[in-house]
Amino acid sequence: MNITTKKFLSPVLMILGLILMIVSLAMDIAGSEAPFRGIMLVIGIIAFFIGLYLFPTMKHHRKIVYFIFLFPLLFTFAVTVIIPLVLGICYSFTDWTGIRFTQVIGFQNYLTMFKDPAFIWSILITFIFVVLNMVLINLVGFLLALLCTSGLKGGGFFRASYFLPNLIGGIVLGYIWQFIFSNVVIGLTNNISWLAQSKTALFAIVIVYIWQYAGYIMLIYITGLTQIPGDVLEAAKIDGANSTQTLFMVKIPMIASTFTICTFLTLTSAFKQFDVNMALTNGAGSVPNFMGNYLSNGTQMLALNIYNTAISKNNYALGQAKAVFFFIILAIVSLIQVRISNKKEVEL
Amino acid sequence: MKKKVLATLIAAATLSTAIIGCGATATAPATGAASGGEAAATEAEAPAETPEGGIRLVNNKVEVDSGLKKLAAAYEEQTGVPVVIESLGGGIDTQATLKGYYQADNMPDIFVFEGDIHYPTWEGLLADLSSEEWVNDTEAEYVRDGVVYGFPTTTEAIGLAYNADILEKAGVDPKSITGPESMRKAFETIDAKKDELGLTSVLGYYTESSQLWWSPGQHVFGTYFDSGLSRDDTTYIDLFKDGGKLDMERALPWAEMVTLFNEYTDPAGVSGTYDAQVLGFASGKYAFVTQGSWIGATLMNDDKDAYAEAGNFEIGMIPYAFIEGQDTILTNSPNWWGVFKDGNVEEAKKFLAWCAADDGGQQILAEDCGFISPYASNTHAPDDPFAKTIAEYTAAGKTSSWHWLSMKEGIGQNATGVVFQDYAMGNFPDAQTFLDTLQQVCTNYYAN
Repeated sequence: MNITTKKFLSPVLMILGLILMIVSLAMDIAGSEAPFRGIMLVIGIIAFFIGLYLFPTMKHHRKIVYFIFLFPLLFTFAVTVIIPLVLGICYSFTDWTGIRFTQVIGFQNYLTMFKDPAFIWSILITFIFVVLNMVLINLVGFLLALLCTSGLKGGGFFRASYFLPNLIGGIVLGYIWQFIFSNVVIGLTNNISWLAQSKTALFAIVIVYIWQYAGYIMLIYITGLTQIPGDVLEAAKIDGANSTQTLFMVKIPMIASTFTICTFLTLTSAFKQFDVNMALTNGAGSVPNFMGNYLSNGTQMLALNIYNTAISKNNYALGQAKAVFFFIILAIVSLIQVRISNKKEVEL
Repeated sequence: MKKKVLATLIAAATLSTAIIGCGATATAPATGAASGGEAAATEAEAPAETPEGGIRLVNNKVEVDSGLKKLAAAYEEQTGVPVVIESLGGGIDTQATLKGYYQADNMPDIFVFEGDIHYPTWEGLLADLSSEEWVNDTEAEYVRDGVVYGFPTTTEAIGLAYNADILEKAGVDPKSITGPESMRKAFETIDAKKDELGLTSVLGYYTESSQLWWSPGQHVFGTYFDSGLSRDDTTYIDLFKDGGKLDMERALPWAEMVTLFNEYTDPAGVSGTYDAQVLGFASGKYAFVTQGSWIGATLMNDDKDAYAEAGNFEIGMIPYAFIEGQDTILTNSPNWWGVFKDGNVEEAKKFLAWCAADDGGQQILAEDCGFISPYASNTHAPDDPFAKTIAEYTAAGKTSSWHWLSMKEGIGQNATGVVFQDYAMGNFPDAQTFLDTLQQVCTNYYAN
């Protein structure tokens, strides 16, 4: 194909493609039922891209090819992440009901949300939950990893069985443990279920979540521990280090980067905790006096609070505002994580 | 060059399959569902499509799915108009799903909604049904600002259900329970003979708040608004809608009744499930249960064996009489079918008219769906242990409405349910403290 054909073909195909796309989309928006509009859209897109590919330039040709290859992913990313995010932020400034909105109300939703003690409580217990989980899951996961790498008989079996809870979905797991707590554990606790009181219920969620997640973290630690070079360990042994010394002076420093990874994994996943929370207590629990108020959502963490605001309280706009706030928190956490990980990598 | 062309082609092919794939799910016609056969819409991920010239109905009771499909098949046989039944349930929030359908331009022609709390969502989108003939045949239609928007399907009753056999053996006449004193006396009498009657406790009053919040938080609470009042009396709900205010003069005796329940209930109720509560009643372990007429279906199906073992005892209902002389139970259509304004309104109206008036349709609704018909002309009754009681109260005009349906959405789950559980666990010293807390929770809920 010579340059003149390209010069002619490229704009023609691009314009034709654009026209086809616009017409088919316009037909769809206008409510047309014509069966060929989908095919028309696809042909339009293909024509546009062939035109783009044939664009007569040497300098940018590679870039165009890269773009064409990236486009499917970018398109999907935009449709499923970027557009909903932007729309969501817009909705949070309106009185959207999930069907329509009548007016833009500015920061009203944001003000309402921080005036609600129940929401403040949710933020608070989410942070408590995150800290507890970060410490306990890493501790339990690391101990299990040590156990599984200590040359125990049947180590493979234990490794698999500790990991197994992670394969069960959170909802199922929540209902299984709800049964356990209200039928088995109840015998030990004076016939009052752990799940019936906020304090113990929160503790129950922590236990179940550790049970679910520690196995996964254990696997990462095992990978870290098995990657420690044997000669280092042997040298330590020859120098007369006992097992405690080996653990603290050799093993732990050697897998410091694994600790960073696991800390952030547990941090972000605990922030987003939803399914176990929902299945186990559904957020219920009493708090006698918090900021002068009696609260009914004693065990409701952020994600569940957002969900309930939108779905059960039918207040989509407020739920959306809370979700934006939640997004900001998670974005900050992720940014810090990336920063620290990069620094660590440089040090290594 | 050849390689590049190939690569572009592959890219284009990937892209087009992705787009065609998207288009296909949106435009593929629903198959099978229209036949009213086994194609269970409950499990289908993709929503059903309205058949050509027919109508689609979204229902939120999975348990009546097969009954409604039979109804749809019968209708199609008579009129030739296909009706697709789509049942959402089993943990799906129907209203949230419907909102998604609306956004996706995939609204059904008839859909279920729960009266005042859902009306604002659908305001302006529901067809006016005022001129339909069935409106004159029932008192349970959903009316807003003088316009009929909702078609009532069944009647459910909230009352204190009792096991007639046990009451008889204990020598307690249910008719003698007319107020708080007689209720306490009856409970005391039964409690004294608890062991010989084989009871776990007098009452099965369950307050577990993560799944069962709706029972105390909405139904037991709901009796405060309506017990003993005429169907159109909105005094207490109007007061409540104004910022969640309770009338203490009426609420205190009601709270005393809750106190009484706490005294005589099974302590397992603070963490028990709905299934355990109904099973306890079905197997004769409780003389009373704080559940309404919907447990009839559970007794006849899931708990059939336990119920048979306990002797298929007769079941009745007494009013939640917290003030002497309150003699009504609370009956209502728990939800309504509304017609989507931009859907196939004419056919939808015809279908509803047929459901209300046609003898065959009434029979299927009663016998296969277990609906207690709210239509006066209806002659069919379901095989349900509560049907008789509800009919008696209705005939005597001793029913009140369900005004609790107008409480702010989500209040039972997010606010009131837990307070009942807390009280049942003994975290409040007396009825007044319980009531004050409830008042505070409701005020806060309306404020935020």
